[in-house]
Amino acid sequence: MIFNEIYSAYYNAVAKIITAVLNGDTDEKHLNKIVCDNAFGESMLTVLPSLKSGKWQLVRPDMTTPLKHTPTMPLTLLQKRWLKAVSLDPRVKLFDVDLSALDGVEPLFTPEDYVIYDKYADGDPYEDEGYIERFKTVLTAMKTGQNIRLEMTSRKGKTVYVRCVPERIEYSEKDDKFRLVTSGCGFVRTVNMARITKCRLYSGDTVIESEPPEAGYEDIVLKVSEERNTLERCMLHFAHFEKRAEKADGHYRLHIRFQKDDEPEMVIRVLSFGPLVEVLESENFKNLITDKLKAQKSCEL
Amino acid sequence: MSSYSELIKNFEKMREIMREFYVYGFKSREDYDKKSSRSYDDERRRLESWLGEHMRFVRNPDGKNVFISIDSRVSQHNPFYKTLKAKSFTDGDITLHFILFDILHSPEVTLSLPEILEQIDVYLSHFQEPMVFDESTVRKKLKEYVDLGIVEYERSGKKMLYRRASTPDLPDITDILNFYSEVAPCGVIGSFLLDKQDEKRDDFGFKHHYITSAMDSGVLALLFEAMQKKCVITATNTSRRSDTSKKLRIVPLRVFISVQNGRQHLLAYQPEYDAIKSFRVDYLSDIRLEEPTPRFDELRDRLTDMQSKMWGVTVKNDRFKNARTEHVEFTVRVADNEEYIVNRLEREKRVGYVEKIDANTYRFTADVYDVSEMIPWIRTFICRITDLHFSNYEVEKQFRRDIEEMYRMYGIKEAEA
Repeated sequence: MIFNEIYSAYYNAVAKIITAVLNGDTDEKHLNKIVCDNAFGESMLTVLPSLKSGKWQLVRPDMTTPLKHTPTMPLTLLQKRWLKAVSLDPRVKLFDVDLSALDGVEPLFTPEDYVIYDKYADGDPYEDEGYIERFKTVLTAMKTGQNIRLEMTSRKGKTVYVRCVPERIEYSEKDDKFRLVTSGCGFVRTVNMARITKCRLYSGDTVIESEPPEAGYEDIVLKVSEERNTLERCMLHFAHFEKRAEKADGHYRLHIRFQKDDEPEMVIRVLSFGPLVEVLESENFKNLITDKLKAQKSCEL
Repeated sequence: MSSYSELIKNFEKMREIMREFYVYGFKSREDYDKKSSRSYDDERRRLESWLGEHMRFVRNPDGKNVFISIDSRVSQHNPFYKTLKAKSFTDGDITLHFILFDILHSPEVTLSLPEILEQIDVYLSHFQEPMVFDESTVRKKLKEYVDLGIVEYERSGKKMLYRRASTPDLPDITDILNFYSEVAPCGVIGSFLLDKQDEKRDDFGFKHHYITSAMDSGVLALLFEAMQKKCVITATNTSRRSDTSKKLRIVPLRVFISVQNGRQHLLAYQPEYDAIKSFRVDYLSDIRLEEPTPRFDELRDRLTDMQSKMWGVTVKNDRFKNARTEHVEFTVRVADNEEYIVNRLEREKRVGYVEKIDANTYRFTADVYDVSEMIPWIRTFICRITDLHFSNYEVEKQFRRDIEEMYRMYGIKEAEA
């Protein structure tokens, strides 16, 4: 159903090579770049040689092709059904796209067929017209390379005005929230979309000096017990970070690198494993855990 | 001796290997004792070819460890999708594919099989040693494409006429594809669509983004298909822990996706036990759709009712098929400036309720099928838990023992608290 050669990287690369050849572009360097960009590390050893040798009879040895049209393929039923399923999601309204051309297509799945059971309950208000408009404005600004002017409510409930460069929109599946990553406005780096109360494209003359934000990283080492299937649970739980595990004497050592702004969340995530995971490094991170435990001890549970 | 190829015929084999490299990154060549060393080398080479930039190597006394390490907050697109674009094919497959769609270049072109065959020969006559495609091969390929929905046919008298399927007139969906290819189930299908786009603009990033489920996309798509058709399925359930396989006959009811550990479970009715049970999607393979069942709606409604007592994916029944729940309550202290803790309780709880006991104390109460599923969450409130009661006394005892063990582990003595 999904694992099919018509979706393969090789077919995509060949389609783009034929397009180039039809346009008279037969420069081997360029054709190999197409292969590199569209296929895998060693595909250069196969794709162009197979075409040139006539193993795949689509390009003649003189680098012309008997094909007359730019290769295209209609959407497969699976692709249409997936798009139809996506069109049923409430967040699709944020993208201002009319998918009525898919009327009559059976969705691959419906919201009844799955549940994200552990996402937080206070996700963004996807039905709110104002939120949808502000989201669209941010997206337009990013597409057209424009700056924006925001009015937002800070954590302390104050109204804040900001002019900034929208760098990217970050979505957290766990929080079910969008955040806008910005630059050029000093103290404000990441803004929860739901905290934005007004958003306009900024057409003023002030030049916003900006550099894309760079993430700072923190490294920790955890001692992971062999008991209660902890290694698998731990490796899956922290799967989305850069990490490395190694066997040690009767346990595993897990090295994790995460962005510094995730530190408070990482502390409680490590705590959630109880005594089956122990922090070995860093000293700073270990102290954060210790502080929590000391506070717990004072609760006299 | 067969030569190495970076493409593969069967994804199932690689599914397991990739999980091993990604989930258990510490395995060395010697750990793969079940497979021949040649097979290990080929598989590792393939992974390097597909996921080169994410492969890491470490040398230690046991040998060289190879593992996959990805910070999904930095990667805008799931690197594992590449692995689903590595299906092998024959020289004839790829040649025929491009020639067929060049012949059927627009939905207006309608041709019979003999006419298509004739035109194929014209294309191939440009080559010194032209391939030969017989009628049955081309008919089979057209049938395959009809099933995929990219070719349509109509009967005209005794003749069958083929044409390319028309594509719905869609506006620019780049943003939708960039977003949903990462967050929707079977997102790899969105990635297939993105591959066809010329514009590579992407304004989205993802946090708390689990990417391993990509490897289960094929299984998941079949499970959804079964639910749409309200079908019974058969499947093989292989526990990676015990390394045993069991054939299942079940009615898939709903997929439970976790965004806190990346696991996906199928909740399904198992007639053998007359019970709804959960199955890890990454343990399932060989899915086959069988007959539709008239009980599907009733069983799904039953599951929906049960969800109000489920913290995770566990469902428990006693021997009389009655749902058996466990009671849980715990209180936390909240300082005057810690309103966010109350917010945390409210937004993170999936079932149950929160009540204010006094200005600085809140209680969470719930009845769930399996209180042990809640333990990791309750532990995240360590530093403020003042009271705790579970009807499952064993689990409560274990919770308290674990906290004591943590005090010992970090050297916290009475006087320090």
